[in-house]
Amino acid sequence: MSDKVNLNVNGIDIQSDSNKLLIEACEDSGIHIPRFCWHKRLDPVGMCRMCLVEIETPRGKMLVPSCTTEITDEMVVDTESDVVKKAQEGVLEFLLINHPLDCPICDKAGECPLQDQTMAYGPGESRFVEEKRHFEKPINISEIILLDRERCILCARCTRFSDEISGDPLIEFIQRGNKTEVNTFPNEPFKSYFSGNTVQICPVGALTSTSYRFKARPWDLKSTRSTCNGCSMGCSIELNSSQNKMLRILGVDNDSVNQGWLCDKGRYNFEYLNSEKRLKTPQKSINNNFVDVEIQDVYSELSEIIQDRKTKVNFLLGSNLANEDYVAFREFSKSISDTEQSFYINDDLLYQGHFGQDNELAKIDDLNSSDAIVVWAEDLKEKMPVLYLRVRQAVKKGVKLIVFGHTNKTLSDIADVFYGKETVSKNFEIIKDVSKLNEIKNYVIGKNVTAIIGKSTPQQSDDSVTELFEFLRSNSNTKILNAYTKGNIYGAFQTLENIKGTRDFVENISGENTDLLFIVGADPVGRSFYSNQIKSIIENLDTVVSLDIFNHETAELSNFVIPVSSTLGEKEGSFTNIEFRTSRIDKLVPSPGQTVSDWEFITSLMNFAGLSNDSNSLEDLNNKAFVNIETSSKPVFDNLDKPSNLDGIINVYEPAINTSENNSTEALFYTGEKLYGDSVTERHSESISLLGSKKFIEVSQDIVDKFNLTSGQCSMVQGDIETTVSYIINDNLPNDLIYIPINRRDLNKFDFSKEIKVLPSRVKEALNVN
Amino acid sequence: MNETILLTKHMRDNPEDSHLIESYEKNNGYTTAKNTLLNSSPENILEEIKSSNIRGRGGAGFPTGVKWGFLAEDEDRYLVINADESEPGTFKDRILLERDPHQLIEGMIITCFSANIKEAFIYIRGEYAKPARRVQQAVEQAYEKGYLGKNIFGSEVDLDIVVHLGAGAYICGEETALLNSLEGRRGEPRLKPPYFPAVKGLYMKPTLVNNVETISSVPWIIENGGEEYNKLGVEGSTGTRIFSLSGHVNNPGNYEIEMGTSFGEFVDTLGGGIRNNKKVKAYIPGGASAPWFRGDQLDIKMTIDDVANNNSMLGSGAVVMMDEDTNLVSAAKSIVSFFAHESCGQCTPCREGTTWLEMILDRIASGRGRTSDINLLLDVCDNISPGLTWPPKMTTICPLGPSAVSPITSLMNDFRDEVESLIPTKVLL
Repeated sequence: MSDKVNLNVNGIDIQSDSNKLLIEACEDSGIHIPRFCWHKRLDPVGMCRMCLVEIETPRGKMLVPSCTTEITDEMVVDTESDVVKKAQEGVLEFLLINHPLDCPICDKAGECPLQDQTMAYGPGESRFVEEKRHFEKPINISEIILLDRERCILCARCTRFSDEISGDPLIEFIQRGNKTEVNTFPNEPFKSYFSGNTVQICPVGALTSTSYRFKARPWDLKSTRSTCNGCSMGCSIELNSSQNKMLRILGVDNDSVNQGWLCDKGRYNFEYLNSEKRLKTPQKSINNNFVDVEIQDVYSELSEIIQDRKTKVNFLLGSNLANEDYVAFREFSKSISDTEQSFYINDDLLYQGHFGQDNELAKIDDLNSSDAIVVWAEDLKEKMPVLYLRVRQAVKKGVKLIVFGHTNKTLSDIADVFYGKETVSKNFEIIKDVSKLNEIKNYVIGKNVTAIIGKSTPQQSDDSVTELFEFLRSNSNTKILNAYTKGNIYGAFQTLENIKGTRDFVENISGENTDLLFIVGADPVGRSFYSNQIKSIIENLDTVVSLDIFNHETAELSNFVIPVSSTLGEKEGSFTNIEFRTSRIDKLVPSPGQTVSDWEFITSLMNFAGLSNDSNSLEDLNNKAFVNIETSSKPVFDNLDKPSNLDGIINVYEPAINTSENNSTEALFYTGEKLYGDSVTERHSESISLLGSKKFIEVSQDIVDKFNLTSGQCSMVQGDIETTVSYIINDNLPNDLIYIPINRRDLNKFDFSKEIKVLPSRVKEALNVN
Repeated sequence: MNETILLTKHMRDNPEDSHLIESYEKNNGYTTAKNTLLNSSPENILEEIKSSNIRGRGGAGFPTGVKWGFLAEDEDRYLVINADESEPGTFKDRILLERDPHQLIEGMIITCFSANIKEAFIYIRGEYAKPARRVQQAVEQAYEKGYLGKNIFGSEVDLDIVVHLGAGAYICGEETALLNSLEGRRGEPRLKPPYFPAVKGLYMKPTLVNNVETISSVPWIIENGGEEYNKLGVEGSTGTRIFSLSGHVNNPGNYEIEMGTSFGEFVDTLGGGIRNNKKVKAYIPGGASAPWFRGDQLDIKMTIDDVANNNSMLGSGAVVMMDEDTNLVSAAKSIVSFFAHESCGQCTPCREGTTWLEMILDRIASGRGRTSDINLLLDVCDNISPGLTWPPKMTTICPLGPSAVSPITSLMNDFRDEVESLIPTKVLL
């Protein structure tokens, strides 16, 4: 804890932590100092000069920027003196002389710090009679971000964010003095996974995103606070809509989770909500043709099936449902069968994990207070981008980072120690005795360690990480974050018993044991390591019911397709993140057509079929969600909605995961997922489909040499299946290996247990000509 | 009055080859450094510098011995020579770099010995191509002789010197901007606090930043003793200084004199008087950043304190004379244009304000001024430098913004009539 110091601000005595900057200390005490460049989460630069205040010094009163001034005991500050007011008015006039009068057409107008502070502190009229500075009106600096340099007030928020927080400084100041402008480097677009944050923190309308541009005025927006369900980070978000259309997502500064930041996928993967291609009516497949049917007919047909007590029902659930949806399926299964039901989650990487004692489970905040972080999981920047930011933040504070695994390309850049192909074998096992790895020993023995551990690729054996974890547990004070990265998978853990993954689905499910299969919010045929096997299983089942927001590869194989509302903005509920933090999901916009929530569908079906059911409302399901938690701070709506709990409530919990053991096999390929793919929602979100338009694989240098690849493009061929992709050389990959991002349909159609030929694309073109 | 020749002696005696090591050594060059490294101690050297009472020649006039004393303890410490001589009117470091680079190197060897520094940099302004070539050649010659590198003069002392050329930015003469530039960053002044170079300087390590002329004085001070140096000049402004005289004088140029004579005497004797026997209307006593003096203030003494007591600064020693025919509004506009062009762009008041001042002055100078412009000028100045006091208060990180204000306040305080006379009172339709 830091010491307290006493200050006198405007004649009022206040107390503050000694490590605070003057602007923060004043803010905490309710004294607002105007500012543009200062941002709580960025290093101060003192550039805009708006936050000038007067402090008493031995040489008299001095004007200092409060955003760079560290507080000292007995400091006497005046934030409202005539000198201060004059200086602030002057700064505002300077900022405005070259600022265009765009307000009537500017997206920022109405929520613009420059507008607001001009009203509060500004001079009221302009004395500038010359011509304003001109730049070309908005220029595209990436597929989704536009930059209007005339509006820019050069606060360095975007440049600092890119440099300090996201670590991809692609946007910078060029020129100097009056000609200074923010811009990207020639031929290098602002291709950052985090670019949308710069739009959010821009204090003027200089940076705008194509998805929100000219769509609404801030005073017309409806908004609510919710939780992002894109990955298991569970970032706090604010949803904005106008005229019942979702238009924007903003990051909310949840100190323990996302600290205001979002990845671009979380921020922009909402546009599908407004897609014309949404499923709007229930459909039934008749002779391989889907026809619209009444929902009552679906209920009645399904009722007949489930009223037969011999009917065997199974569930393949996506990871994007709300906790209450999972509870509804749990209650449904209980009502139709006395035997314990397994729930299959649409996750190729689900495995037993390391839970054990509660106190061994880490919180995200533990990253900052550790001595070292050990990561052996999927590439965090691709799968949990905001957790990657938190790891970066910890590393910047001096926490050591040790990373294992070939596919962790982005983390290897910031790691103190990176164990790649020299240490980790092709089939993802540590070649050497962990206790003989000297580099890691120096950083972890006897230290506080946070381990982020999960499977990196489906080919990796389940227990390959155990040796590492046991080593850490016995040599250091280790806490673990189990890196299950998918959506609300921790919510499934908390609400369901007997959970299995897609691999178990492939091993276990057949027509023998399944008469009726519910596939809910999942497209494993379109996007899974096991897609071919899953497809043939589904094709051989009697009755398959898909609940989803779009038709897709899996839904097309179903007998019934039920349109449901999206967990993002179209329904209420709760979400549980990687540290078992449960927070609220809220509804802002209506869902189209005859869509229902997943829980509504299943409870209605229960009622229709006359099954015993005592949970007919969302509140009922919510109250039943956390059966195993007996604390007073149970994360039910009543508690979550208290203002003090908006950031969520943590309840550590050991889930009942029951996957079968997966032994490692010699890998021919690694498969994984990049941030952007072409899942059904991404295809229908324009921004994301632009960002993820490029299809590529990663190859070792060896492959390039061996197959004589030169053009940056190659063809992948397996039997009749063939596709052309770009390749990127990844030096971390072991020789002869290819990393295939399978969250793309055309890369997902291969059988990964068999050989795939890689050919230079030019040869292929030549062959085609002949 | 006469010149007192200390720093410029070698170059005057050997006008053909003073920049070469052979010539420098022939005139006992490097003997002081050698004696120092072999026979003296760092404490002794610091003591001599302190007793010489030499004050920095870059502009701020900070006592050099005190600055050296502030240097924080650290394994890595650096010396950076500020050779980014860019203040309009100043050209004294140029001759020291171009014509006596070994004197500077010898001074650096002694300085680094005193401050236990093993790596030094000479940051030369981008436009100084010839001085940079000469300095680079001199450094290479010194390496060849073993005066730089490992075990200099057979002692335990190591020193490496790196010559770095700027890219043409006035602001890089500001010491923290210079350090940023040297590190490969944008040349922008750092926030102070916390980044005082003596504590957190180059690569966040304690760093001495000294002017060329200051360090070039070190060999003479050590050879002859701090006390001897202290006897030259007057109290508070000891030793000699090289003044760069320019403007409407008969004999412009660099003159090395003891501080303490009046500007008038300096101009009349060494400067050969004003051209065509004109009167002085105004003059700049210490570079473009310094407030002007009027022609009736020529009896002010050329010392740091006398000039400061008259609300200006001796600065970098650039004396610019403006005769009675000078259009002072145009003169002020030239200076303000310079600062507007050289603003780094970080702070709003400087980035926007200096350009605005330039625009207003341009309007007035070209006869398109408005009666409201005088108050506007002063108010814009006030928003950059509140109170228009000297030394200036500022709303900016560094004094570049307030420097653009200096000529305008001079103009308004002493020559307001001249400004007003340029503003048309009637509008012809």
